Amino acid sequence: MSALGGGSSGGEGINPVGTAVGIVLLLIAIGALYVLSPGLAFMSLIGVIIGGVLIGFGVHFVPVGGAPAAMGQSPGIATGVTMLAAGAGLAGLFGGAWAAELGFGVALAGGAIGGGLMMAVTCLMVNVIYVYGMGIPAASGKVAKDPITGDTFEAYKSQGTEGHGLPFISYVGGVIGGMLGGLGGTLIYLELLKVYEEFLPGMFNVPAEQILPLAVGLAGVFAIGMFLVNAVIAAYNITGTIEGPHDPKFKRFPRAVIGCAVASAVCGMLAIILVVM
Amino acid sequence: MEELLFGIGISAIAGALATVSGAAEDTESDIGSQGDPNSQVQLAPQMGYIHRIYSKAISGEPPAYGLWCTLGAGLAWALMAINYNPVLAIVLGSAIAVFVQGVYATTAYLGRTASLAKFEQPVYIDVIKSVTTVTMAHAFVAIFTCVAMCFLMVNALGHPFPLPLLGLVWGIALGAAGSATGNPFYGKERQYQSQAFGAGVPISASGNIVRYAEAGQRSSLDNGWFTSKMGGPASGVCFGLIVFLELWRTIFFEEFAAGWGAVIAGVVLILIFMIIDRYVEVWARKTYGPYTEEAEEASS
Repeated sequence: MSALGGGSSGGEGINPVGTAVGIVLLLIAIGALYVLSPGLAFMSLIGVIIGGVLIGFGVHFVPVGGAPAAMGQSPGIATGVTMLAAGAGLAGLFGGAWAAELGFGVALAGGAIGGGLMMAVTCLMVNVIYVYGMGIPAASGKVAKDPITGDTFEAYKSQGTEGHGLPFISYVGGVIGGMLGGLGGTLIYLELLKVYEEFLPGMFNVPAEQILPLAVGLAGVFAIGMFLVNAVIAAYNITGTIEGPHDPKFKRFPRAVIGCAVASAVCGMLAIILVVM
Repeated sequence: MEELLFGIGISAIAGALATVSGAAEDTESDIGSQGDPNSQVQLAPQMGYIHRIYSKAISGEPPAYGLWCTLGAGLAWALMAINYNPVLAIVLGSAIAVFVQGVYATTAYLGRTASLAKFEQPVYIDVIKSVTTVTMAHAFVAIFTCVAMCFLMVNALGHPFPLPLLGLVWGIALGAAGSATGNPFYGKERQYQSQAFGAGVPISASGNIVRYAEAGQRSSLDNGWFTSKMGGPASGVCFGLIVFLELWRTIFFEEFAAGWGAVIAGVVLILIFMIIDRYVEVWARKTYGPYTEEAEEASS
């Protein structure tokens, strides 16, 4: 963890060999599906990849302090990156799936707002605990001034810590991260649902309404699974803690975006091939 | 109109269940020491501080609660499919899930603590006997209320996801909300009571957790008593608000503007929470003021 002095260096930049291998895998997955089923299934895979990229990018906005944050040693929310992003994104997916029948746009917006609302409530309660339960004002350890409010932090950091609490920029980052996570998760769900609704009735030779619960369940399970895959990849990129969009680690996101695109393409291809073949 | 009132009523009940669930979840994880502050419990013997705190953090709270709530919901769903009464099915499903949690807690405590043998940290059999059952009891409350809430969402509000899938979604969200909100209070306020109130724990004090209670050595049961005063209720309010507002904005505003009403309501709610957060932040800066070199423990 970074509060113990380690961690934030190393592994910067993009590894050209790894990226090339990833892009080849991505192209193979896209190409395979284009050969198998060029219409709806292919377009859905593109949607799934975009959803995965949104999740991976969104995780970088979520301020996470891990164990040091729980001791007031570093700023952020006192839990793991994957956990929090998954919680917010899945709350969004819940809202998005509910609004699915009202149309594509409403469902996506509903999913995004669901994730954002979860993070807004959580971040507020985190600050309430820091301020009223522990008597600690918010102070960032990574920047001298809050880029949104202009608050200075140096004098508000208690001795021997890297800052504490949840500055306003981290709060806003958390909400944006929750929204992107909810949006990406809902997009993956809707795209897979479309494919399953199209292909499952033919596969089992039953009427469409009879197969709907299976399609919804299957799309939901795969959406949650792909959500976790992308959140974990982004968490490895962040390695431990991040304060939000102002944190220097935020600049690492291009690596995660490439990784998430490749992973989503392969996972999405498997999820779609299940019914297309 | 009647349908709308019914929906709002169900939202309120689901919100209330979620509040209890969040409070029980945080108290359970503090007694079992499963959240992020557990790294300090693990570290303490290596720094020479032998303790009697339970330690069962093999995975984080969100995946653990995702598993238990999915188990509870899945078993309840299976029992309902063979025509069990829903209430009985949810109770039985949650009870079986709690036994899985108990097995997990025992093996996690034994494994984690035994790994510290070279630092002379003993495994206390009486701690296993007394604490495991108490975490199981709290876990039952958390799982039962979460599964009951999911049941309401499926059967009364008509969410398309099947019950086990909703159990997974809300179990992970429950763990995320509880671990985010409750952990700092347990980590700093409970484990570092020897440190000044109103300041973060210096990095140099890592591992020096408070090990003695008012009478004798502290065990994890004291943690439940302490954190249920603030960390638990705050986690409950957090999870309750998330569930209630998510349902309320959908049921109340989905009729407007072809579904966009719920989205607009969500944006307004987010902005309101942002304003409250900014107020809290400014209040803290004004009231506590900046730290100076002389006044490290000023605001006690």
